[in-house]
Parts: sequence; structure tokens; C-alpha cells
Amino acid sequence: MARVGTQALREMRRARRRRAYAQLDWIDAVYRVYVTAILSALATSFISGIVGGRPVTPAELSRALEFGPALGGLVVAGAIAAGLRSGGRGGPLVLLPADVTIVLLAPIPRAVALRGVAVRQLRFSGFLGAVIGMIAGNLAAQRLPGSYAAWVAAGGVTGVITGLAFTGSALVASGVRVGRRVAGLIGAGVLGWSVADLLGRTATSPATFLGRLAMAPVHGVGTPIFGFVIIGLPLAGLALVGGTSLEAALRQAGLSAQLRFAVTMQDVRTVILLRRQLSAEGPRRRPWVRVWGPAGRGPVWRRDWQGVLRWPAARILRIVLLGGAAGVAATAAWEGTPVLVALAGLALLVAALDAIEGLAQEADHPTLSSMLPVGRGWLVLRHLAVPVTVMVGVCVVGVAVSGALGPGGLPGVIGIGLIAALPAAVAAVVGAAVSVSVGPAINPLEIGPLANAVAGAKAAGPPLLAVLGVVPLAAARIAVNHDDSALAGAGPAAVAVLFVAATVTAAVLLREG
Amino acid sequence: MTVLEAVDLVASYGDHVALNGLTYKVRPGSRVALIGPNGAGKSTFLRLAAGLLEPTSGEVTIDGFPAGSIEARKLTSYLPDTPSLYDDLSLVEHLEYVARLHGETDWEDRANDLLDRLGLTDRAQDPPGGFSKGMRQKASIAVAFVRPFGLILADEPFDGLDPPSREALDSLFAEAAAGGASVVLATHHLEIVERASRCLAIDEGEVVYDGRADTAEVARLVGTG
Repeated sequence: MARVGTQALREMRRARRRRAYAQLDWIDAVYRVYVTAILSALATSFISGIVGGRPVTPAELSRALEFGPALGGLVVAGAIAAGLRSGGRGGPLVLLPADVTIVLLAPIPRAVALRGVAVRQLRFSGFLGAVIGMIAGNLAAQRLPGSYAAWVAAGGVTGVITGLAFTGSALVASGVRVGRRVAGLIGAGVLGWSVADLLGRTATSPATFLGRLAMAPVHGVGTPIFGFVIIGLPLAGLALVGGTSLEAALRQAGLSAQLRFAVTMQDVRTVILLRRQLSAEGPRRRPWVRVWGPAGRGPVWRRDWQGVLRWPAARILRIVLLGGAAGVAATAAWEGTPVLVALAGLALLVAALDAIEGLAQEADHPTLSSMLPVGRGWLVLRHLAVPVTVMVGVCVVGVAVSGALGPGGLPGVIGIGLIAALPAAVAAVVGAAVSVSVGPAINPLEIGPLANAVAGAKAAGPPLLAVLGVVPLAAARIAVNHDDSALAGAGPAAVAVLFVAATVTAAVLLREG
Repeated sequence: MTVLEAVDLVASYGDHVALNGLTYKVRPGSRVALIGPNGAGKSTFLRLAAGLLEPTSGEVTIDGFPAGSIEARKLTSYLPDTPSLYDDLSLVEHLEYVARLHGETDWEDRANDLLDRLGLTDRAQDPPGGFSKGMRQKASIAVAFVRPFGLILADEPFDGLDPPSREALDSLFAEAAAGGASVVLATHHLEIVERASRCLAIDEGEVVYDGRADTAEVARLVGTG
């Protein structure tokens, strides 16, 4: 019976694949690949041009050699920890609900039924890792010694292995059904090992050896071979995939279908809500602390704090990490890779999309807010206060991280950091508010010649605003490069950013009525 | 002889206990109606028996094999409360696929009979993506019945069906039971409960009634009487 069933499974998957290919418009597909390739080449050359051609000084090279492998290893360890976390929640396989109720309930070995899906997922994560690794290699080649091809190749290979390690560790965790807490603890151990390597300037973790592989053009390829033990993760994952929990698979299947549709519509809010459901990230039943003070005054301010104080630990940790990531990116931008200002802005936007939960809840429940005896604009404006306060805190985390990493320590960044924090926080919150206010970028009801332009503007507006918020930092760097004071550059830029943010806020308020 | 046996079955989600020490046996050829108010634990019980969920403690066996094992899956057909169908397969392709997954090579006569009885013959070549809710439910029923089984677990199978389809489904259940298969179905339809050989009422995860039940009894048990 199992043999007939397995044969049927293979034939039907082949038939479904054939049908998908038959429905594909090949001319359109080839055109898309062509346009994507051209745009990717242009973007790569553009990024290469603006990354900052200043080669590192001997001192900077020495620091790169000293810390680079461990930092790269930390990224690999982060991918493994994230994979373990995903596996602890039942991931990473994305199945259709029918796959669960029809195929996985059929009398064929589950490992056979799931292996194909697992291989596809590994292939995708390996490809994505390769792309990201090659981009990182491209950026490194702009400043570090070694040939361009060597850096791109080292980045690509490290990226593939990191991508495979992410999905592989998730497959292992879900296959042996480690609980969330155990998965979190193991992930913390993996990360801790890499942090110990970083602080102790040692190379003991396999992740650090893989980090050396990424630095092969300046480090050589002698020792990184130990990093390849990480390849065992995807292999083990494929062997263990049959143990995946059906309950988790069914839950993921239902939510993933909705998630795919939301991503297609570029509906950021729905993506956030579904992602929270996938990771079971609900609000705490009891707040961390109760909001105090008289209940009558500032009801929106009070309501938003009540929401923030019910955030689960995972969300708080994520926001703090995003603040730290923004700090790392800002430091790298300051030290000669200005394009990373964009990364800092995007990290802050992601954090702001969580911080603006109060306003997003109003948008999710328009009937409730429409019955309030106040104008919608009044309500929206007041919902911005708490997110801005939270985001200033997130930016302060970024400043602290920047101080820890920068050669001048905290005193070296505190002045410019505090001036840059307010516009960065305000711009990220306004970007998030725009995202919530305009809703999905793609609206099937909007047709006509301008529909694509409107969708593009809706999608690009929030990230552009958030990146604009970090421009004062770039302005300060330019001023320093011209032997002027950092504050002389950052101050006027901060005022300009706040002016733009105020103008956009006014437009949102007008739109909301 | 027992087809399905649940012993001290406990299922909990965090603080919420969906089933609290449920013990129950289903004999071959019996037709069991599972009733209870919303959130009583009916769907959880069916999912545990189908092998979709795993118990917090206790066990469910199908013909002596643990629920969810390959041997249990051979015997058990599960009809979910929400139809799960592929958008890129026609209805008849679904039937072929499911029958062959269960090792059935002579599936066409059975499939045609089901399509005819459920009024789906005209839509057999269509993918179910464009079906109405009732049509999707009927397609899901055909998928559950096209394969051989010794036990069928159905979660609110009559919901969304028109009266002729309801009758057709009822006769399919009756034929299955007459052929020696066991039927366990969760339902709120009183007339269906009256036709069952046994009625199992669950409330707050515990068995509160086990036996035959008339309309008044059922109404009392589900809290409408």
C-alpha cells in the first residue's frame, strides 16, 4: 500500500508542477527575469559606487582581521539560533492545509511525504543566503584588500552555508520536537559561544570558523574547513523531517496561506499580525507594570502605554535588538560605508511598526474609533506620542551600541547620537503611521494608468521616510570630512527631517479627516 | 472488539484544558454522535483520534495501533470541519490522488458513484477553488469517502449542506456503518443524533452522557433545551 501511495504522491506532485508550468506565461517570465537581472546589476554597481571607496587603513585592517571572523560567526550563530527558534515553534516547513489533512494522514511514511518540501525550502534558503553573502562580499571588496571575485565567492559560499544552517537547524528542532524553551536555550548557547569567541578573540565555535571562511580573501582558507561541520545540520534535518508535529504543521499551513496573500498585496499590517500569530506572540495577560496616574486625562496616551506594557518579552527583545542593529549599521556608515545608513533606517522602521500598535489597533477596528466623540485626526495625532517616546528609547540603545563599537567609546558618539535620535525616532514613527494609514500597497480595486505608481509610492514611502530620519548622521559625517563640527552638519539636517515629518503627518491627518 | 479506544485522554493548550481524562470505546459498525456546546472538546477529540494532535497524557488507539501511526492512518478517514482542498487539482483528480495514496487502484467506479450521489458530476473536472462553501463541503465529503476505511471521523459534516446533500451524506454514513465501519461525527443537528446508535455528550472536556438520546435529551445536553 505504501509503495502505491508513494508512487501516487510522486505522480501527483509531478502533475501539479506540470500544470503550474503550463499556466506560466513564459514570455512574461523571461521578461521579468531579464528586467530583474538588469536592475540587480544596476543596483549592485550603484551600491558599489556609493559604498565609499576609501580603503581601510592598516589599523582598521588589523581590527577587521581580529574581529571579522568572530563577527561573521556571530551572524552564522544568529541564523542557527533563529532556525532553532523557528523549529521550536513547529517550523520551518510551509505546507498547504490539504497537504496536512490529505497527504500526512495517508498511510505513507511522513519522511517521504515531507522530504521534497524540506529540500525545496533548503534550496531557497541556500539561494537567499548566497545572494545576501555575495552582496556582503561585494561591499567588503570595496574597502578591504583582496580580489573582487574572491570576496564575492567567499561571501556567496558562506551565505549558502548560513542559509542551509538556518533551515537545517529549524528542521532538526522540529523533527526531534524540542520545545520552545529548550530551542531558545540551545540557540542562546550557540550565540553565547560566538560571543565568547568575539570577546576572547578566540576561534573555538564552528560558527567562528565559518566566519573565517567569509574572510578568506585576507585570512586564507586553511582553517575554515572546520566550519563545514555546520553542513551536518541540513543533512540531519532531512533525516529527521518525518518527526514534524502535524498540529504545528496544520497551524502553520493555515497562517502561511494568509501570509502569502498578505505579502502579495504588500499588506504590512496583516503580515505583522500573521507573523505574531505564527510565533504565538500574544500580549501578556498581566502588564509588566500597571499604568498609574488619573484615568481621566490623556486617555490615548494612557491606552497606548497600557498596550506597550503588555508586550511579550520576545517583542521587547526584538525591538531592543533592532535598536542595536541600527547602532551597528550607523557605526559602519560613520566609519566609511555610508550606504548602511539605509539599513539603520529600515531597522528603525521595523521597530516602529511594532511601536505604533495603538494606532494600528484603531485602523484594525474602525467601527470602534468612528463611534468616539472626537475627530479621527485628533485621535491619530495623539496615538503618535507613545511610539515616538518608545522609539527614542530604541535609538538610545543604538547610540549605546555605537558607543561600545566605535573607537572613541560612548563619549565619542553621545553628542551626535542624541541629536540624531529624535529625528530618527520621529521619522520612523511617521513612516510606520503612513504604512498603517494607507493600508495594503496593492489594492485590486485601484485600476488605471496610475495604479502601479500609486502602489509603488505606498510601498516605498514608509521606508524612504525612515531612511531620511537617519540622514542627519550622514550630514554630520560629511561635515566632519570637511573639517567642520559634527553638530554643525547634524543640526540643520535634523531640523529639516523634523519639518518633513511634520508635513507628512499633517497630510496623514488631513487624509484621516 | 474495539475500533477506537481512548484512555484517560487529556489535551490542554496552556492553561486551557480541552479534554480532561476522557475514556471511551467505539465498536465496529457503530454510529456515534458526538455532541456538546461550543468549546466542549469535540473537535479536539476527533483531531486526537485522527492523529492530527497529540495528547498531553493518556492515549488513543485505532484497532490497537496508536492514533497517527501508519497502521491507524490506513483505517481512519478524517473529514475536517473546514474543507482542505488543492486549488490546482480538479475534483476528480483529488479523488484519484486520495484513493491511490491509500493504495486503491480501482477507484473510478467508487468516485463516480460518490460524485453522482452528492450531485457533483457536472463539476468533476473543475478545481474546487471556484466552488461555493456547500460545494466545497461536498467535495471534501467525496474525498473522505473515496478511500477504504474502517473508521470515519467527521467534524460538523452537515454544516453548509442543502437538504438533499444532507440526506445523501446521512445515507453514506449509514452504508458505512452497515458495512462494518465505525462512524464518529460531531454535530449540532438533532435529527442526526437521533439516528445514531450512541450519543456521546462532552462538556468542558469530560463525558457527561453516553447512550442513546432523543431530541429532548440532546437539546438539554447541548444547552438549547
